[in-house]
Amino acid sequence: MGAAVTDGPDAALVSAALSAAGEEPGVVRLARIPGGASREVYLAESEAGRWVLRRDPPGAESFTPLAVEHQILGAAAAAGVPVPRPIRFEGQGGSFGSAGFLMEHVAGDSVAPRLLRREEYESARRALPEQLGRALARIHAIDPRSVTDLPMPEGDPAIAACELWESEIDRVGEPLPAVEAGLRWLRLNPPPPPSRQALVHGDFRLGNFIVDDDGLAAVIDWELAHAGDPAEDIGWLTIRSWRFGNDDLPVAGIGALEPFLAAYEAAGGVAPAAERLRWWEAMGNVKWAVICARQAHDHLDGRRVSHELASLGRRICEPEWDLLELVGGG
Amino acid sequence: MQDRPTAPELLDAVAGYLFAELRPTVVREQRFPLLVAANLCAVVARELRAGSDPDLADLALFREAAGTPPAEPLVPVVASPEAEADARRAAAELAKLIREGRLDGRLAETVSMLREHVRRKLEVARPGYDV
Repeated sequence: MGAAVTDGPDAALVSAALSAAGEEPGVVRLARIPGGASREVYLAESEAGRWVLRRDPPGAESFTPLAVEHQILGAAAAAGVPVPRPIRFEGQGGSFGSAGFLMEHVAGDSVAPRLLRREEYESARRALPEQLGRALARIHAIDPRSVTDLPMPEGDPAIAACELWESEIDRVGEPLPAVEAGLRWLRLNPPPPPSRQALVHGDFRLGNFIVDDDGLAAVIDWELAHAGDPAEDIGWLTIRSWRFGNDDLPVAGIGALEPFLAAYEAAGGVAPAAERLRWWEAMGNVKWAVICARQAHDHLDGRRVSHELASLGRRICEPEWDLLELVGGG
Repeated sequence: MQDRPTAPELLDAVAGYLFAELRPTVVREQRFPLLVAANLCAVVARELRAGSDPDLADLALFREAAGTPPAEPLVPVVASPEAEADARRAAAELAKLIREGRLDGRLAETVSMLREHVRRKLEVARPGYDV
């Protein structure tokens, strides 16, 4: 909640790390930015500028290590994807207390309801669907083998996704028969394996886009990045939960699919067939349902006590409904 | 028996206070968490008003989907913890059968039955989502 940092990283060490990377920050103040699911995010501010520090919560695990995330940001920037420029990574025991990296601060807004409803973002909304299509095509053009230690599921990515979310359900320990039925259908009806594995962002949706008056300023939150079927990112982007009430606008609650896919193809992407997209949209609903259950249990188990996380236990039924519509609707 | 207000009526009162009175006074970063809190009160009020009927209906549905004959007559109970625990156990058994592929022969039927279970949850948690 932007509160003063007590057991967080040391501001003087962060300032020194910025200096070592060639910045000239002077005296830095740190403020926690709320919202990171499995990372801590801090705004580092001084009279000379603003930077962002992303680090592991001390003692926590993460799906994609921060060293990899830092590396991906560099690769994405080089590929022409709008991202915050990465500045400096330090491992466990470095300047940040736990593993983390500094990046430039990108001005703008990422809060979905504001972006969808406020008049001031009208021209941004017009530009966004095509900007997202282009950005995603550039992400998918990055060779996943060029990223050291990128999570790289073995075999068919569709089957790997089924296995991943089954094991997540088991870890949470909550019976979810509707999700299981959807998952079973997905397992029995996978799309053909993709012609190639791409770098998949893993959480490409409204909320992880920094938007300014001109539209897309940066794609952030790469912590779920992995190698896989590029259609996974498009399916996830379009699940109903990420339309935030604008149910008939699949691209971030802002636009139709066609102009987005046209921009994706114009920038070098290969638009997936409708059936493949539908499969990954259904899988996206599996993923969101299980994440809701997992976050509710993070609260119940005392890992992160929060009524907002607790409330997600009553939202599992939303992606469950959409999942069963997608697999049962024919 | 407690005196009025009933439990859901009290939650309605708390939701009304949070939403109408407190919300305009809090700092911007607290508005969304506060809306979540107010909405949770409304959800739980609906859940209490629904009583044990949804749990009992789900228990019957899970058993039928799993092919388990109803062992004992399903009598509506006043206190819900038993019905809820039974339904949760039956859900776990059904989930296991689905995962193991033992219902693959009637998966489409299972999916359409489970839509009714999800519909019941939505009636409490997010009315109107399934239209």
